[in-house]
Amino acid sequence: MIARGVPGNRTTLFLLQNTPVLLFIVLIVGFGMMSPRFLSLVNFVNIVVQAAHIGIIAIGMTFVLLVGGIDLSVGANMYVVAAVLGLFLQDLPLSVSFPLVIAIGVSFGWVNSWFITRLRVPAFIVTLSTLFVGRGLALYFSGNKMVGFSPSVLSLGRASYLGVPSAIWAFAIVFVVAWLTLSQTTFGRQVYAVGADPEASAKAGIDVRRILVAVYCIAGGCAAIGGLVSLSQVAVASSTFGFQKEFPVIAATVLGGTSLFGGRGGVLGTVFGAVLIQTVENGLVMTNADPYLYPLVISAIIFIAVLVDSSRSAILERLERRQIRVERG
Amino acid sequence: MSTTTLPTERAAEPARRRPRIAERLLMSEYLVLALTVLYVLILWPIVPSIATRATMLDVLAAMMPLLVVAIGQTFVLIVAGIDLSAPSILATASVVGASMMTDDGGFALASGIPILAGIVAFVAVGLLIGLFNGLCTTRLGMPAFIVTLTTMMFFSGFALFYTAALTDDGSSFGDLPASFVAIGQGTVAGVPYSLGVAAVVMGVAHLVLSRTVFGRWLYAIGRNPRAAAISGVPVRRAVTWAFVISGLCAAIASVLYTGRLETGTPVLGQRILLDIVGSAVIGGVSLFGGTGKVTQTLYGVLFLSVVDKGLQLLGLDLASVFAIKGLVILLAAVLDALRRRLILRA
Repeated sequence: MIARGVPGNRTTLFLLQNTPVLLFIVLIVGFGMMSPRFLSLVNFVNIVVQAAHIGIIAIGMTFVLLVGGIDLSVGANMYVVAAVLGLFLQDLPLSVSFPLVIAIGVSFGWVNSWFITRLRVPAFIVTLSTLFVGRGLALYFSGNKMVGFSPSVLSLGRASYLGVPSAIWAFAIVFVVAWLTLSQTTFGRQVYAVGADPEASAKAGIDVRRILVAVYCIAGGCAAIGGLVSLSQVAVASSTFGFQKEFPVIAATVLGGTSLFGGRGGVLGTVFGAVLIQTVENGLVMTNADPYLYPLVISAIIFIAVLVDSSRSAILERLERRQIRVERG
Repeated sequence: MSTTTLPTERAAEPARRRPRIAERLLMSEYLVLALTVLYVLILWPIVPSIATRATMLDVLAAMMPLLVVAIGQTFVLIVAGIDLSAPSILATASVVGASMMTDDGGFALASGIPILAGIVAFVAVGLLIGLFNGLCTTRLGMPAFIVTLTTMMFFSGFALFYTAALTDDGSSFGDLPASFVAIGQGTVAGVPYSLGVAAVVMGVAHLVLSRTVFGRWLYAIGRNPRAAAISGVPVRRAVTWAFVISGLCAAIASVLYTGRLETGTPVLGQRILLDIVGSAVIGGVSLFGGTGKVTQTLYGVLFLSVVDKGLQLLGLDLASVFAIKGLVILLAAVLDALRRRLILRA
């Protein structure tokens, strides 16, 4: 579509369209030259393990951004899941408690979608309020104290199958399911259609409300799974577990090329975005950079990636603006 | 958008069908104000101290910095943007400004006018970050949400970095000059200076939005940027100014907060982002642009501050405060959605 819109200069467009991948390669080469340890397979596995929980939640966020929505409550959802699991479901086997808390995450998303679709409250405000309510309820249950987990949860966090850590398995499974859903199913097509133009989708017979409910439930479920992956790594959940996680999650999603205005993007980019952010953080650790510089470097890289990404839209916009001027003069 | 541009029809409406009191209240601009009064009345029997003069003055003084930031945010919301970087501007301005006036850093101590230099530094930080946000949004075509998200991350990090590099304990700039602290804490005849500062900001902002061409431009851009551009509105310049104003307001709020706390601290305003956007939206400023008034933001800030104070007086723990605040924001948003539907029907 874009290649046809802007004639010529395919190389530039190719570069623009694959910014996250290219940035990723540049960073790997750069950090690799500064620290030989960085390029080891062990370290790369480490990066993906650390990126897994953000990546999983960001995959859910991708669905929401694709329909032009937003979910600020994912961090609170993580904490609700952690609190419920640690306080009430300790004694159940994981095969029962995990599906239960994921169902809680999904219902959290469903509550969001109810306010958004039935009462037509903007998603930003709904999820902003459920962020407070969710975290408040969970804090009430936990009494503002650390929440611990049963040894089986922790051993699951440390476990590996076929030499691959459990966090990466979770990340991979969520990714594959999400990718298949978006690219191979009718539902996936409808998600893109609703994001591109809700009115036209409704006219074409798509049940827009059902799609919206589904994506917020997916985001809630992914937040729960991401929360489980994260808590199985950190062993205890403090009262700030998941606090303001919505920002790195949205950053990873947007870094992966998903538009905030809906209709454009995908989960493959999101995985790249999440791994990219973690790669930068890991590279900074490996090169012994001042910890105070981490947020500066990470935000600068996100900025550059989004800048390059949006210059595509800027090119298109400039073309449109010229047409307006012709009409005026 | 189309729902808000029908003042004449709305005026004619009572003649056709007399709305019930509940409906009329729901349609009213003063709904949030009414909710605030209702809240105080409900709490009165439980905590009588909520209706005392001392509590009211306390709430007023405490809400002023939030009010100033939220007014800046209103400008950006009117053009359908959002400024997530406001808290980081508060923090960065606080540490940079404080570093001018104290022994840590002390860049302007030798100038003879350290306090003036400090305030200039506060304002400069706000203007520059606002300008950066505005230019990235308008000239580079980046979404405001992402631009201000990255500037938020960058400058919160920068404020911590700056503080660690310049101070001995690495956490804050203490020992601010007494005359600077007075801006945040001082009173004239029982009225805090901060109230005066906020009143001036509010008055100017109100005049700019309601009485100037620039104000009209902002509303026009918020309703339909393309139509505004065709009609000759300098869209990019106006939107950039909206972000600069938001940065400036955050800087002024930072002066007030820093004075109140007597320290320049990099964690200033870390948790108030949602309060800023939330209070504007509760007041009735739309996230989709085109509508919003300074008075609405005032009501929203007043409402949130009174709710906060009430929960504090009830002696509730952090958890309940969080949950109730969330429910209250949600309730206000639901009422707003209902109101919109009523207006559509009318």
